[in-house]
Amino acid sequence: MALKARKAHEKLPVSPANDSVAASEISLYRNVLKIKEEHDLEELGISFWDAQTTIQWSYNADHYFHAASTMKLAVLIGVFREIDRGTLALDSPVHVRNRFTSIVNQETFMLDLANDADPDVYGHLGKTLPVGELAYWMITKSSNLATNLLVDVVTIESIQQALDELEIDGVRVLRGVEDQAAFEAGLNNEVTANGLQKMLRVIADRKAFSPEASEEMLKIMLDQQYRSGIPAGLPKAARVAHKTGNISTVHHDAGIVFLEGREPYVLVILTQFRAETGRGSAVAEVSRDIYNTLAGLTYE
Amino acid sequence: MSEPQSIKVVDACDLDDELRFLLKPGGMVLDAQKRRHRLPRYFYEIPSHEAAMSIRLTQHFGLNEFTLVDLKEEQRLQEFPRYIPCAVRVLAFYLEQFRKDAGGSVHIAVNGGYRSPSHKLSEYATPHMWATAADIYRIGNTILKGKETIEKYNAIAEDSSDDLHVLPYGHVTGLNADDHVHLDLGYITVIPREISEDRMEVPQENKPRFAFEDRRRVERRSQPVPEEGE
Repeated sequence: MALKARKAHEKLPVSPANDSVAASEISLYRNVLKIKEEHDLEELGISFWDAQTTIQWSYNADHYFHAASTMKLAVLIGVFREIDRGTLALDSPVHVRNRFTSIVNQETFMLDLANDADPDVYGHLGKTLPVGELAYWMITKSSNLATNLLVDVVTIESIQQALDELEIDGVRVLRGVEDQAAFEAGLNNEVTANGLQKMLRVIADRKAFSPEASEEMLKIMLDQQYRSGIPAGLPKAARVAHKTGNISTVHHDAGIVFLEGREPYVLVILTQFRAETGRGSAVAEVSRDIYNTLAGLTYE
Repeated sequence: MSEPQSIKVVDACDLDDELRFLLKPGGMVLDAQKRRHRLPRYFYEIPSHEAAMSIRLTQHFGLNEFTLVDLKEEQRLQEFPRYIPCAVRVLAFYLEQFRKDAGGSVHIAVNGGYRSPSHKLSEYATPHMWATAADIYRIGNTILKGKETIEKYNAIAEDSSDDLHVLPYGHVTGLNADDHVHLDLGYITVIPREISEDRMEVPQENKPRFAFEDRRRVERRSQPVPEEGE
């Protein structure tokens, strides 16, 4: 594999500084370390794979982070496995109910709906919403209520089975959202950058159970409403199928980036920081650096 | 004046194999305390969604309100014609009284009306399988959650009739309720007067038993009663 500086400079956001992949990699590595330092990050994990050049690059990509809402991608995978198997349909009605059972002590708990980003779901309490709509709100507005309802429908075991079937490691889904008893028992959903990258790559390759299922998942992810992560570091024309994850100490984004005239690339950026530091713009900055580095290279 | 509403009553023992398997008419089931109860055998047959929406059991309760289920119910039982035990009209009668006492519209939750014995929540016998229980998630504009609200409406239900049983506020599924008011009448079986219960009398293969029940008492009163044999 040989890489060289792009010949057609007029479309590039930056001029290629060096024609060596190794040099680009070193430069990227330095930039990433700088971002980590500037944002006072405790941990940073990055995994990148480009379908156009087949370049892979990673930093601390096997380190496990609290998954936050990126676990919802695994739930999406679990839902579409059942749809592909015919045990569930996108229009299957689900009772919208704010009552769940802890995996630890089987006690019931309710979500604090004041914290949930999505009134589109809890506005239907007592009624039904179709599986497809719940999946849509779970991803595009990160609805916790939709997530827990879908976890109840497909079960944690089935989600894990879906990940195993697709040979995705580095993603551990143990429970739904806001299961305080499980949290106190140290049972949290965890992800690595490489794990999420594998998951997104399977979807990007249309190999997540079937081309139709993959296409449907991509369509949902492309409607993501929160764009302060990966998309914020890209040109406006870029389309990103992605899922963010935020809690007080982590800010993640995992997505498939579609740019005009080339194959997509998969990028996962996971950050962890102290609660008092706040999340800042590290994810967007890493996204911009990756884009600039990629734009400075061509594959021959 | 609208056309009188009639609804077909069927002996579920005459239904096809799959429906009999799912509805288990006359079957014996255990409740959580290991007591045995015999499942209902006579059902209203609801021909269509439109019929479910238009048929009213009482002034304020339509048949559809007792049939709302999600994917926890077997797919076949979500397809029309659908079936609901005849005792549902008794429940509707009591709910009408409860509605008056509660002072607001009463909203039954999805999966909160009739649940077949094949429903995923039907682990043990509950009056939901007799269509004699209702889980109410909203009264007027009040969403029923929290101890104070649930206990308030539980008290109203208990005061409304000694026949009504409620689940106390709490978090143990089946014993308590924390996001709805549960009302039930116990295990009531209704046998329509038009039906003969002797299964040997009419072989199911040859002559299915059913009847049409007139749902409009006022109109029935106003019409001359035909003489026997007329």
